[in-house]
Amino acid sequence: MRKTLSVMLALAVILVMVLTGCSKKSESGASSSPSASSAAPGASASASSSASEEPSRDPVTVSLAGWGSSPEEQELLNQTLDEFRAKYPWITVNYEVIADQYMDVIKTRLIGGEGPDVFYLDAFEAPALIDKGVLEPLDGYVTPEFDVADFEEPLLNAFKANGVTYGFPKDFSTLAMFYNKKDFEEAGIANPPATWDELKEAAKKLTKKEGGKVTRYGFGVAPELARQMYMIQAFGGKVSDEQGNATFASEEGLKGLQLVVDMKNVDGSSGEPKELGAGWGGEMFGQGKASIVFEGNWAIPFIQGNFKDLDFGTAELPAVNGKKGTMAFTVAYVMNKDSKHKEAAWTLLSYLTGKEGMKTWTSKGFALPTRKSVAQELGYDKDPLRAALVAGAAYATPWQAGATLPTITNNFNNQFLDAFLGKQKLADAMKKAQDTANKEIAAGQ
Amino acid sequence: MMRQRSWKRRLRSTLTGYLFLLPTLLVLGTFLFLPVFYSTYLSFHKVNLLGEVSYKFVRWANFERMSGDERAWIALKNTFSFVVFVVPIQTALALLLASILNAKLRLRNLFRIVFFLPTVTSSAVLTLIFIWIYNANGLLNRLLETVGLKGYNWLGDPGVALKGIMLMNIWSTAPFFMVVFLAALQDIPESLYESARLDGAGRWKQFTAITLPLIKPATFFTVVMGIIGTFQLFDQSYIFSAGSGGPNNSTLTVALLIYQYAFKNMDMGYASALAVILAAVILFMTLLQRQLFREEKLG
Repeated sequence: MRKTLSVMLALAVILVMVLTGCSKKSESGASSSPSASSAAPGASASASSSASEEPSRDPVTVSLAGWGSSPEEQELLNQTLDEFRAKYPWITVNYEVIADQYMDVIKTRLIGGEGPDVFYLDAFEAPALIDKGVLEPLDGYVTPEFDVADFEEPLLNAFKANGVTYGFPKDFSTLAMFYNKKDFEEAGIANPPATWDELKEAAKKLTKKEGGKVTRYGFGVAPELARQMYMIQAFGGKVSDEQGNATFASEEGLKGLQLVVDMKNVDGSSGEPKELGAGWGGEMFGQGKASIVFEGNWAIPFIQGNFKDLDFGTAELPAVNGKKGTMAFTVAYVMNKDSKHKEAAWTLLSYLTGKEGMKTWTSKGFALPTRKSVAQELGYDKDPLRAALVAGAAYATPWQAGATLPTITNNFNNQFLDAFLGKQKLADAMKKAQDTANKEIAAGQ
Repeated sequence: MMRQRSWKRRLRSTLTGYLFLLPTLLVLGTFLFLPVFYSTYLSFHKVNLLGEVSYKFVRWANFERMSGDERAWIALKNTFSFVVFVVPIQTALALLLASILNAKLRLRNLFRIVFFLPTVTSSAVLTLIFIWIYNANGLLNRLLETVGLKGYNWLGDPGVALKGIMLMNIWSTAPFFMVVFLAALQDIPESLYESARLDGAGRWKQFTAITLPLIKPATFFTVVMGIIGTFQLFDQSYIFSAGSGGPNNSTLTVALLIYQYAFKNMDMGYASALAVILAAVILFMTLLQRQLFREEKLG
């Protein structure tokens, strides 16, 4: 009796293991499978003014991949895709969210031949991927109706190489100064600082300490190259030169960075989010651990959603060395060169970056539209919170600098953090980072 | 006639044996041996897999590149310090826990479950939980503050991040080796201890003269597996640093470096070379230990 019982138990365990192994059908971020695909058979009845000359209306499936973001953004993208499906019912879109390490997954899939037809590409990663020749040049698909001139030029150029367009930017954001209105009132500061010196003064007044430990920094800093690039350029420095070698440790570059480091180590009025237990600037700001942070458009829905009582405002970044500056981050939709359904993929891509698709996607304010016409229509330049972000687009530095930028960024971030925390002198840290980056770049050629 | 039949029978039984082994051989071959050989092959080439696929034979270039690669040396240093710190403490802690369990305490079974719990939890989940504990506002800092010490920025400070992972690792793998030691301890006959007590030996003398020598095979196993495991540390440092190896390369281990070169930079040739070197180092360490332990046994 004992023996049969233990045999039954063993079989039950094996059965459970087999079942758990087999139930992995739903992958991370299951696709929103269209229910409308069954509704419009043939689809010749729906008068669809498709931009590209579609000879065949055979049902075709196009895969779309992007990275994950907030549930509200997912909803909005699904809404855009639903509208696309209504217009082009014979095209089924398989939307997949890649939850983590987006670029690693995309690169691996492209190597394996399983790459998605259309996918997100950040301007930062674009030069390297374009160099590898895995993206489809899009100029041949463009029609006059698509209106390429409608795009903001610096953002469009971020995805061009040798005059050939490989992607169209779907949205962008710049950095603006988020400030806590209540903290400002308490400290008696009337207006948000307009220059770096004013920022220094304000930050000193806004830093709060309790018993020797800082509970709130005046200014929350993200000590990474993506956020500090414009500081390097403020006094004339450059992150890299034409050959792609790192040059940020020049005297001019250091002048800008020294301002950031001194605010932490000399004034004690700024810190990075992890020091107070926050994950990033938006969290630090929302939790009241920093009175001023430089963040992008994405922070607005985050703060409004998670910290509803926070009374905050935005303003353009304070001028450094007499010049206004900020960063612009943009993402484009690109097409896989090995795609088997290029025409349908273009239809999807052109819709998502076309006037209609972009209007829906940017209507809730998660990201700013890259088309001038859509921006005017949605009136973001008059929006009290977003006006500063839109204004920044005119003078922003796009976060991009050739195919070596990822290597340079890695090394910069490593050493800059050390200097920021006061463990190394800035000049030494930056020289080390620059040398290591250039060695790596040379070795990888 | 008889001889022919027995020869055929032996052949059949040998073939049947191999047939039973075939699935395992296939799996091992495809997933273990083939990648090892392919990796070694790749380490002598400059490989480009994305876009235009190309394999260029470059002989020792990848290995020479390693000597000038600062990050490779940092990764090696981090991994070494990890091994040197974790393995002795892990072994000692495992032995201590096993001794506690071996003593006939009342709540022995409860202790067994509690002690073994860290090992059955997935290391990825453990790492995530520890990230919360190490948070500047997290449990660890709160505990330190109640005792009167100052809280610290465990996650963001390069000097401390690796130590954090070490503590986490010791805590999670010691119980596994505790089980090994427990089995070894229970094998020691009680009569040896009795006769030692009759001879007037104290508890400590009993431990060093009887226990330690007799559990030597278990100690050898623990140390070797511990060294192999810590040299290959990847998942914890990956999750801790979100794949970057930071802050400031302080949590960069050799396995993480290989991952970065292979899957971020798509530089398969160099990554394979690093992997070959790592395997060689581990092999060397294991052989070294075999020598040491064998000499002690004979002596």
